[in-house]
Amino acid sequence: MAKKTRRDLIQGSLDMLILRTLSRETLHGYAIALAIQQRSGDELRVEEGALYPALHRLELAGLLKSTWKISDHNRRAKFYQLTAAGRKHLEAESANWNRLVAAIAQVMEG
Amino acid sequence: MAWWMKLLRRRRLEKDLEDEIAFHRAMRVNDADAPPFGNETQIRETVRDLWRLPWIEALWQDIAYALRSFRRQPGFTAIVVATLALAIGANTAVFSVVNGVVLRPLAYPEPDRLEFVFTQFPGLGFERFSMSLPEFLEFREHALAFEMVGAYSTGEATVGGAQPSRQIGALVTHNLLPTLGVQPFTGRGFEESDSRPGADPVVILSAGLWQREFGANPGVVGSRVEINGVSTLVVGVMPRGFDIRDEKVELLAPLTIDPAALPNTRSNHFLYAIARRKAGIDRAQAQADVDRLLSRWKEIAGPGVHTPNETAHRVAITPLLDDIVGGTRRTLWILQGAVGVVLLIACVNLANLLIARAGSRTQEHALRAALGASRWRLLRQMTTEGLVLAVAASAAGIALAQGGLWLLLSSYPRVLPRIGDITLDWRVLAFTAGVALVVALVFGLVPFVHLLAKDRIGNALKLAGNRTTGGTARARVRTALIVSEVALAVLIVTAAGLLLRSFVNLTSVDVGFDRSNLSSFAVALPGSKYNPAARVAFYRELRTKLEALPGVRSVAVMTGLPTQRFLNASDTDFAHIPNNQPEYQGPAENVDYYQNVSLGYVETMGTRIVAGRNFEAADEGGAPVVLVNEALVRKFFEGLDPIGRQLKRGFSDGSPWFTIVGVVKDIKNESMAAETGTEVYFLTDQVLRISNQAPGSMYAAVRSALPLATLAPQFRRAVAELDASLPITEMKTMDDAIGESITRPRFLLLLLGLLAGMALMLAGVGIYSILAYLVAERHQEIGIRMALGAARQDVVRLVLVRGLGAALTGVMVGIFGAMSLTHVLTSLLFEVTPNDPATLAGGVGVILMVAASACIVPAWRASRVSPLTALRA
Repeated sequence: MAKKTRRDLIQGSLDMLILRTLSRETLHGYAIALAIQQRSGDELRVEEGALYPALHRLELAGLLKSTWKISDHNRRAKFYQLTAAGRKHLEAESANWNRLVAAIAQVMEG
Repeated sequence: MAWWMKLLRRRRLEKDLEDEIAFHRAMRVNDADAPPFGNETQIRETVRDLWRLPWIEALWQDIAYALRSFRRQPGFTAIVVATLALAIGANTAVFSVVNGVVLRPLAYPEPDRLEFVFTQFPGLGFERFSMSLPEFLEFREHALAFEMVGAYSTGEATVGGAQPSRQIGALVTHNLLPTLGVQPFTGRGFEESDSRPGADPVVILSAGLWQREFGANPGVVGSRVEINGVSTLVVGVMPRGFDIRDEKVELLAPLTIDPAALPNTRSNHFLYAIARRKAGIDRAQAQADVDRLLSRWKEIAGPGVHTPNETAHRVAITPLLDDIVGGTRRTLWILQGAVGVVLLIACVNLANLLIARAGSRTQEHALRAALGASRWRLLRQMTTEGLVLAVAASAAGIALAQGGLWLLLSSYPRVLPRIGDITLDWRVLAFTAGVALVVALVFGLVPFVHLLAKDRIGNALKLAGNRTTGGTARARVRTALIVSEVALAVLIVTAAGLLLRSFVNLTSVDVGFDRSNLSSFAVALPGSKYNPAARVAFYRELRTKLEALPGVRSVAVMTGLPTQRFLNASDTDFAHIPNNQPEYQGPAENVDYYQNVSLGYVETMGTRIVAGRNFEAADEGGAPVVLVNEALVRKFFEGLDPIGRQLKRGFSDGSPWFTIVGVVKDIKNESMAAETGTEVYFLTDQVLRISNQAPGSMYAAVRSALPLATLAPQFRRAVAELDASLPITEMKTMDDAIGESITRPRFLLLLLGLLAGMALMLAGVGIYSILAYLVAERHQEIGIRMALGAARQDVVRLVLVRGLGAALTGVMVGIFGAMSLTHVLTSLLFEVTPNDPATLAGGVGVILMVAASACIVPAWRASRVSPLTALRA
């Protein structure tokens, strides 16, 4: 595989984070960003400029499914959920990520 | 999300995104310390990019770009589209004909199972001959490979009514229609009972006749119509477009089969049979079955002379489509080849134009490449330009083809079989699309290859503003283009020249009589109204009336008009040739043509007696006498004097002997190109007296200096005075009749001549423009040369040598090609060999003249170059 630039890494990670977030529940765009922010302890802030392109790209790839519903604030919002393909993709990416992290850790230790 | 959704619901998607972002913003209002919301436009654009269909957008972009660039150069575009439209149109038109005649299957169900059945008499030289009724019936019963066999015979019939007319009709066996698989769309077909002797006369009409003469009256079935003077019941109407073997039949009537009379008609050949192979039996098996039948036919038919066997009297089958179109296949593919050559020449021209244009666009391409366009992208751009031009040219070409075809077919409606219903069907459109695609590729590849030359792009940017001389590579390409154009042009012009000579030879054939000032028409007498004596009386009175007309010099009545004869192939017993000798080795005693004539034949036709005497008035009541033609003397009387010898019609003992009293000069029977066949002339009065027979239909030939337009109403009046119910047919001058017999060669010559003209024009224009660009490009170089002392004629010589040198090379390549390819034309040529040097030389001469005149203007322009302006530029 070609050398992954920092942009690639971050973009790839964002996809994974979104998928992971949606594996727990169905959320709309703002809620996803909020969830990622909160669960990372404010370390990771997802910019809208990155979030929405990512969401739409994942949807075009068939990993997410979207529906328009009424949110709990009585407004119309687009809710995203994982598809079966998305779930499989998440498992694969997860495994890759863990392998990568372990490998880096080993290099740093040694 | 499906790709088509992206295209169609774009607006909806945009609105959704807008809403989504608005929602997000609204939610964020409560989140005070968040960073400012990202650039909404940017977000929208990024997402929008996801929705794009890159290839459609790119294609659309290319097309728009192409259209813009064409608008900037309207002259170039117009020339290209016009040239291509002509070439593509010609190709489409010819392919429509090829498709309609050769490729399209016959309009019957499962047409490939249909075979045409015929006889062959190798000893008489008859390759394709008709069957007799007993033979046909035996074939039908014993040839096991076929599930159905039907037969027909054509003739003309007078259809009565207010305006009686002569129509082509067919006598058919009751199972011919089931064999073909077509039924009348209203009414019924024929049954076996219709063929019994004495059965009620019935008839089936063609759709065309029904519309023209019966006003498409739905109640026509069950009504009665007068056919040959006999009241006949109409029992059915055939569907539109029905025909038997392209004979253009308008009427179908049942063939009467009289079992009692059958054994005597074994040698009376007049039927054509069509057989349908059983499902699962292929051609080879069917042929084997027929061969088996031939070997045991004598057992089936019983003892007798005239039975089919494997040697002298064969029965053979051939696929029906082959039989109908076989002779024309080669002609049509030759035409298609010729028109393809014209297209190639047009493409060569365009390649040159494109290279020149690409040369001036090098900068533009270089810039685009520098801005990030890949080579592939540039190629796609150029191919798209080519596609746009090709599509435009194809659309125009199809329109031209339709128009041209309509024009051609209305002037030559019967020149080829099945030509009546040629349309632009899917095969033709697919063909045109294919041609357009190839042209588009040529458009794309030629400039692209030009662009790919080493360092072209880099150099182009550096040398921006300068006119480069292009280098040797381009010069070689130019030369190659001229050579190929000229070579192709030589091919076509030679082919056209050969056909021209062939046609001239055809028209100057000695027909054997004086064809000028001769008009003719035919009158048919229905047997129900006229017995033989009445018929002879009618024709005699007609002759008298016509001779009395002012301006008429002489009139004769005959059964066969020269160049329009049908083979009779009548067995004739010659007294001087022994019949029962088993070792007889001479020609079978069969005469090609029998003629029944009145007195005055030789004078009216303007031919002459070469030996003996002509018919005289005394012969009408005298001893049976005949005239023969020179061909017959050559064939049967080698070295002997025929005058005074005797012959007899047929081999039966009852018929009388006729004495030969004179020999007539050979007159062409069927076609100008064929050898004159053997012919015997009988006097109508004598035939009546001796055997109480008379022809039912005869031609009147009238020699007069007056034009046919003046004579025609008088002819009509003369006939009407004798019997107003008789239609006159085939009224034409002899020149027209002869012209009809050479319709196809004339048609071919016209087409090939047109193509040769197009080829010459394209080649000329091509050479001119190639040289013109050359001069324009080498403007500076010429200026330098002149400044350094070159005279004007040196410059002219430079250009001329360039141009004519390439043309000469092209001519030599062309001659070589012509000599190897023209042999395919042999079957179309008359008294001209394919490698005829005079024609080749003539063609080459014409092309060199065209090339020279194409070179002159650029050469002259080159000599006008002023060194000062050239150097300054």
